[in-house]
Amino acid sequence: MTAARNPTDWKSEAMRKRIAGRYAAERRFKFAGLFAVLLSASFLAFLLVTMMGNGLRGFTRTEIALKIDFPASPLLLDPAAITDESLSQANLPMVTDSVAKKLLGADADALLSPTAWISIRDAIKADPKILSRSETISVPASTALDLAAKSKGSPEMEAAVTRLKQQGLLSTGFNLSFLTASDGTDPTQVGIWGAFKGSLLTMLVTLILSFPIGVATALYLEEYARKSWWTDIIEVSINNLAAVPSIIFGLLGLSIFLNLAHLPRSAALVGGMTLALMTMPVIVIAGRNAIKSVPPSIRDAALGIGASPVQVVFQHVLPLALPGILTGTIIGMARALGETAPLLMIGMRAFIATPPGGITDPATVLPVQIFLWSDEVSKGFVEKTSAAIIVLLAFLLAMNGLAIYLRNKFETRW
Amino acid sequence: MTGPAILLLLAGLGAIAWVSARARALRLQTAARATGRRDAVHSLPGYHGWYVALWTLIPAAIFLAVWANVAPGLVTQSVLADPAAQSLPLDGFSRSAILGEARAIANGDQAGAFNPLSQGLVEPYAHALNKYGVAGAVLALVLAFAGGAYAFTRVRPDFRARTRVERLVMASLLIASLIAIVTTVGIVASLLWESFRFFSMVNPIDFLFGTKWSPQSAAMGYGNDDAFGAVPLFWGTIFIGAIIAMIVAIPLGLMSAIYLTQYASPTVRKWMKPTLEMLAGVPTVVYGYFAALTIAPALRDFAVAIGIHGASSESALAAGLVMGVMIIPFVSSMADDSIAAVPQSMRDGSLAMGATTSETIRKVLIPAALPGVVGGVLLAVSRAIGETMIVVMAAGLAANLTVNPFASVTTVTTQIVQLLTGDQEFDSAKTLAAFALGLVLFIVTLLLNIVALRVVKKYREAYE
Repeated sequence: MTAARNPTDWKSEAMRKRIAGRYAAERRFKFAGLFAVLLSASFLAFLLVTMMGNGLRGFTRTEIALKIDFPASPLLLDPAAITDESLSQANLPMVTDSVAKKLLGADADALLSPTAWISIRDAIKADPKILSRSETISVPASTALDLAAKSKGSPEMEAAVTRLKQQGLLSTGFNLSFLTASDGTDPTQVGIWGAFKGSLLTMLVTLILSFPIGVATALYLEEYARKSWWTDIIEVSINNLAAVPSIIFGLLGLSIFLNLAHLPRSAALVGGMTLALMTMPVIVIAGRNAIKSVPPSIRDAALGIGASPVQVVFQHVLPLALPGILTGTIIGMARALGETAPLLMIGMRAFIATPPGGITDPATVLPVQIFLWSDEVSKGFVEKTSAAIIVLLAFLLAMNGLAIYLRNKFETRW
Repeated sequence: MTGPAILLLLAGLGAIAWVSARARALRLQTAARATGRRDAVHSLPGYHGWYVALWTLIPAAIFLAVWANVAPGLVTQSVLADPAAQSLPLDGFSRSAILGEARAIANGDQAGAFNPLSQGLVEPYAHALNKYGVAGAVLALVLAFAGGAYAFTRVRPDFRARTRVERLVMASLLIASLIAIVTTVGIVASLLWESFRFFSMVNPIDFLFGTKWSPQSAAMGYGNDDAFGAVPLFWGTIFIGAIIAMIVAIPLGLMSAIYLTQYASPTVRKWMKPTLEMLAGVPTVVYGYFAALTIAPALRDFAVAIGIHGASSESALAAGLVMGVMIIPFVSSMADDSIAAVPQSMRDGSLAMGATTSETIRKVLIPAALPGVVGGVLLAVSRAIGETMIVVMAAGLAANLTVNPFASVTTVTTQIVQLLTGDQEFDSAKTLAAFALGLVLFIVTLLLNIVALRVVKKYREAYE
């Protein structure tokens, strides 16, 4: 017999304190959880806001209106015969320089972008008739002036901004060339088009290679392969490949595609092949899940009316599983689009100033362009880098959004 | 004839083969049905079409693939046999340079010749290229016709075209699934091969246990002795990926998972879960830029303000913190899964005994879910030590054996990138060291993944 125990005195001071303590611990714990969620989310917000703050300025640029009296300028050009050759022989950089010095003062060199003459060349090319009159052309300002006009620059530049603003020469315009130009050395003239086109070509190669192979593998493993040591090996390799660090794929691409097969270095073809090897396991795993979720009754029904196993799969199972496979593919492609390290290994970090014409031309991709710009010393590249990041993030967001939309739209419960 | 033109022609032939074979099979079917025997034709007309089309295309395509590899050699041989080639220098390098130039001009890729010798070779080159191009095209077309004709004669009512076509489909599915194995073998073989070459120059013991890493000095000819001690790299990798990043990721990830599964309302959960998952979707180059541009300078200023010596603008802490944030969603979703796998009855039992929710979580759910959480953490560590861009941009290059988080350390992946970008000979110890590092990284991440998956799987079975 145990000794009779006093009934718990719920109202005693000690008990009340104990319960209050337990509830306080409960609240603290819950608050810690909330704090963790909010901290993680706020980090994301901080990252996005920082990038936006830096990057949105990269989409605009400061321009100086240069009023050029062409007939009076030392430019030797015949308006009737404007060709690329005659323009390149006209010594536009020097003419621009002298015109600018006359208009803006001796420090025009520091105010204008070193490639300002390109804007004038393009204006002449677009309309040769301006050579017979005086015309106002907006040319990009130098990085230092650009920074001073947008945020904070050196004192001299701040003074120059005030002076030019009083003369009404300064304007801020949407930087169209950021979307249409390629890499360069002058931050006022660089753009993302080359890298963007490189990304598109690389993704195209990746998709063409990884999608059919991934889907075929998923079909084989899920529908036809009998369980044996052989399929076990295939399965284990695929799961391992999905977890291998991406830089290892870069090493593979380097030693197999470049050193062994002698494919062209830093080309979209090799980049796409390397990324395809990385993306394929993702598609296989997503594909298998999608195929697994198609109910067996559909297969049985098709087999029952005399379809062959290949017909069952290609005419019934695959169409039903396709939305799931597509969702997985888009997610895999989004990952490949943001990938940098393996592409550095196969030499896609070269300076490439012309957009690639085909998949064997030297190319670069958006993430690599971001990486290269982040290494640039010139201050003007900071906002360009962030602006390129905004473009990249917008694309990734769109792709992930599409994946979520597809998943919701085609989600079937059997 | 150019490559694309031949391919287009072949595709056209394939289409014609498909259409005509299908039409013939259709006629046979109608004829058979007219006699009242509905099952007289074994396969649907479309399968006959595919059978003939594949016989038209595949032999020709295989031939073209082989030809593309054989033809350049034949072309070079025939050019070398030309009298104009007698004047070529005997030295192999300049010889191939001249030949390459002549080839480029003959192809129309290049306008003029730098070397006068190559100008004389353009004519024979163009001639040989044309000759072998036409020969290849003609042979391919003959093969296509022969294959198509052979297959077309087999279109009969009792011919089992479907079986043949399906056998090919199955074979191609099998081949596709072999790609995974080939890739794995390729990774292992290339890493092993290059590492083997590296270890023939550098003692593996020195590599794995040496504490001095200075591949530059080895490249400059000071010898390979004790220049490739990778311990500082391993330490830097562990310090950033397994220590600092996990100090950030484990509490935040675990607490987020607990809050979102146990406390949050469905609406909050619905919005916050994808938000946290976005952290995993941000490209690592963006994290790296963010760490290098925003976090690292702030940390250095902070370190200087509190008087820490040796604070660097590229610090282990900056890289580790940002990497930890990137890892949060992995830890959180693994923890989420394993908490959800704990039977509801255990939770209800604890609550019924009068425990508060937090007591239930701490004393029942977490201990029960622990193997799954540990497995998730191992996977996260494996991902963190393989991560490249963040550490390349934010962690620095100095191989330091330090525990000061404000100092610059370097990691395995950073060094791989450093060693392999730039122009190097591919037989120097410096470049090959990258593959040895890659091999170590591959083995370590593989082991971590296998252990993690074992742990998770074993634990799952316990409740089912």
